[in-house]
Amino acid sequence: MDENLTFFFYDLVTYLLNGLTQGSIYALIALGYTMVYGIIKLINFAHGEFYMIGAFIGYFSITSGMPFLIALPLAMFGAGIIAVIVEKIVYRPIRHAGRIPALITALGTSLFFQYFGQQTIGADPKAFPQAIAVKTYQFGEIYISNIQLIIFGSTFLLMVFLWWLVGHTKIGKAMRATSFDKNAAELMGINTDRIISFTFFVGSAFAGAAGVLVGLYYNTVEPMMGLIPGLKAFVAAVLGGIGIIPGAVLGGLVLGVAENLVVGFWVSTYRDAIAFGILIIILLFKPAGLLGVNRKEKV
Amino acid sequence: MDYFIYLAQLSGIFIILAVSLNLINGICGQFSLGHAGFWAVGAYTGAAFTVFLDLPVPGFVNLFLSCGVSFIAAALAGLLIGVPCLRLRGDYLAIATLGFGEIIRIVIMNMDSVGGPRGFTDIPKLANIGWVYLWVVIIIVFVSNLLRGSHGRAIISIREDEIAAESMGIYTFKYKTLAFVIGAGFAGVAGTLYAHTQEFISPMGFTFMWSVIILLMIILGGLGSITGSVVGAIILTLLPEFLRFFGQTVSEWRMVIYSLLLISLMLARPGGIFGKHEFNVLKFLGIGKKEEANS
Amino acid sequence: MSSPILKIDSITMRFGGLVAVNRFSMELGSKDLVGVIGPNGAGKTTIFNMVTGHYEPTEGTVYLSGKNINGLRPAFITQSGIARTFQNIRLFKDLTVLDNIRLAAHYTVEYGLLANIFRTKKYHAEEKRVHDEAMELLKIFGLEDKKYHLAKNLPYGQQRRLEIARALATKPKVLLLDEPAAGMNPKETKDLTELIRWVRDKFQIAVLLIEHDMKLVMEVCERIYVVDHGELIAQGAPKDIQSNPKVIEAYLGTSETEETGPTPGEA
Repeated sequence: MDENLTFFFYDLVTYLLNGLTQGSIYALIALGYTMVYGIIKLINFAHGEFYMIGAFIGYFSITSGMPFLIALPLAMFGAGIIAVIVEKIVYRPIRHAGRIPALITALGTSLFFQYFGQQTIGADPKAFPQAIAVKTYQFGEIYISNIQLIIFGSTFLLMVFLWWLVGHTKIGKAMRATSFDKNAAELMGINTDRIISFTFFVGSAFAGAAGVLVGLYYNTVEPMMGLIPGLKAFVAAVLGGIGIIPGAVLGGLVLGVAENLVVGFWVSTYRDAIAFGILIIILLFKPAGLLGVNRKEKV
Repeated sequence: MDYFIYLAQLSGIFIILAVSLNLINGICGQFSLGHAGFWAVGAYTGAAFTVFLDLPVPGFVNLFLSCGVSFIAAALAGLLIGVPCLRLRGDYLAIATLGFGEIIRIVIMNMDSVGGPRGFTDIPKLANIGWVYLWVVIIIVFVSNLLRGSHGRAIISIREDEIAAESMGIYTFKYKTLAFVIGAGFAGVAGTLYAHTQEFISPMGFTFMWSVIILLMIILGGLGSITGSVVGAIILTLLPEFLRFFGQTVSEWRMVIYSLLLISLMLARPGGIFGKHEFNVLKFLGIGKKEEANS
Repeated sequence: MSSPILKIDSITMRFGGLVAVNRFSMELGSKDLVGVIGPNGAGKTTIFNMVTGHYEPTEGTVYLSGKNINGLRPAFITQSGIARTFQNIRLFKDLTVLDNIRLAAHYTVEYGLLANIFRTKKYHAEEKRVHDEAMELLKIFGLEDKKYHLAKNLPYGQQRRLEIARALATKPKVLLLDEPAAGMNPKETKDLTELIRWVRDKFQIAVLLIEHDMKLVMEVCERIYVVDHGELIAQGAPKDIQSNPKVIEAYLGTSETEETGPTPGEA
């Protein structure tokens, strides 16, 4: 084989692996975005903040000596609980005021957590403790670290769990019913407020998990870290078809890979523009997303 | 004293931004989150115009020309973004405009000729409070006159019920685009005034955060109300300065206070302080009826 | 009938696998008063939406004065002469009664954006014309003293009237009324019957209405088309329709297969 071509191949595989790692993180955050949108049609701008909160809970618990296997569920639980509180205090009262006030409230909540975090924890990035010693495996010129494998593994397990939860449990059925028609679900005796809280909990717990995994992968956490991944996860959710759970996974992976290919083969300064570019193209040409079905507006 | 004049001047620039965004968001009902992008286009175009061209004309002429150039540049950007995006509705439009706003910023960041991420320096200080408020008057007269005619009514009808408007023979896409382009153009003027006030601009000064703050101004005042935009712009420009009087701590926490203010405002009054109403001097004095009957 | 003002030529609307309307055809003379009836979900409103450009027919063509109007935006269809009301009233609720009417006249306004901004002579002249025409229409509909009321504050019956007035302000050749009597009491329905007939005579236009209220349709329409499951199942004069077994079946949902029931034209 031509030597250049070999290098190209190695590069390609490396970028793909990095992209899939990044994409798994996006997918985990996007799942929460999509679930919340599916159930109350709210673009929860603050969703990225639960990812940040999860990362910090992970940071503090690992720094205080907890093992990773405890820190991860703790972070998920903490992020989930905070999301439930936010939903109760802020989103529930605004739900009936229309979509735009709700969207603005979500923006406000997002800003609140970012700046509250900056003021209390400090704006500078913190070094995430190495809970697990990094090992790198080499296949030819292709490298893959155990952290990447952990990210793939955790993401996969969490998704299987979600698939089971939504598709094969009673509460999952109630979630689907609520998202399909809230009023009808209510009439069928489903406590929709509780289901909505539960959806926030699960979605944000996933974001919290993503936060810890990112801390592990990039070794830094900071209060503003939720902004860009949050937006990109939203892009991923829209890309796959917002409200569709497998769509969020697909969207996250596609976005992660696309970004890493562009950064690897072209320029890194346009990294963030890729996500927005994809977003706009999707919105303009297939607004229902890759897995969605276009619906006509009822007159 | 100079400091107060500076603040007044800054307030004026934000009034222009708020009123122009209000035309898009409040009056036409098209939820845009990309206003900082148009502001940036105007600021960079205006600054590039005076710095690179350096026309041998008096300063104020140069400023005025740069305002015109920025208006056109930002309006063109508005047209390019508006035509594809304005088919989208509600929060989807918000997200698409947010995306474009960020793309504009990233593109500027990658343009070395205007300083890239380091920012654009040595812009002549051509703007003063007089010129800024001249533009404040221009945009307020422009928008309020617009609203008193058929074109303005057509723009409002889109906010009220787009399907009904279309059924009444109003080519809604045209008027949405019109509102978007005019709004973007005036944001461009605010940009050039800002560049020639600060003497320095950088891509970090036009982040998505600023789109949110301008949005906050018009929501605070009441979506759709010009008076509200003016008041909202002044309050939010001066608030951080005002918070300074309460010492270092409060000033540092101002963004937290902002966000809490935004949330509580939405919870208490989703329609803003003024709702859709205008403060009308004539009405206030009790002779409003006459005015209304003639309009 | 002379050449029809509105001709619907075998239009079909498919939403995915669902056929909402199947090869529906009809013609409307320039001063006809015609009704389309059918049970809920029969596809009546979909027919309207295709005629007014809110949906583009999957197949078939709509002609207005002999011109194909398929694929035109609703705004341009309205401008070329088809106005409509909506099943669930779609007024500009937060605007005044006067503004609701003036908006319908927007496309006739002859000044441009700059004239609007600078409030030129032409602007004032045109604004006066639009205002006066709107007032004339409001007077006809007995709403002139409510011109500064917000549309949402009008009682229900007046909102329906305002919506018809607003449709007329677009100067249509064909007026489509989508269930104008929905939610009205018998007295209001009776007034409406008068109003519809009167509007046709006064404005000399064709009126096509979708209705549920059989009484209203029977009383006011000269010809009736019956749709069920997206198909045209009968057409003709009210009397014939009333006794048409297919129609009775569609409405009462009888499962009996008596093809040779009581004959038409008996009454």
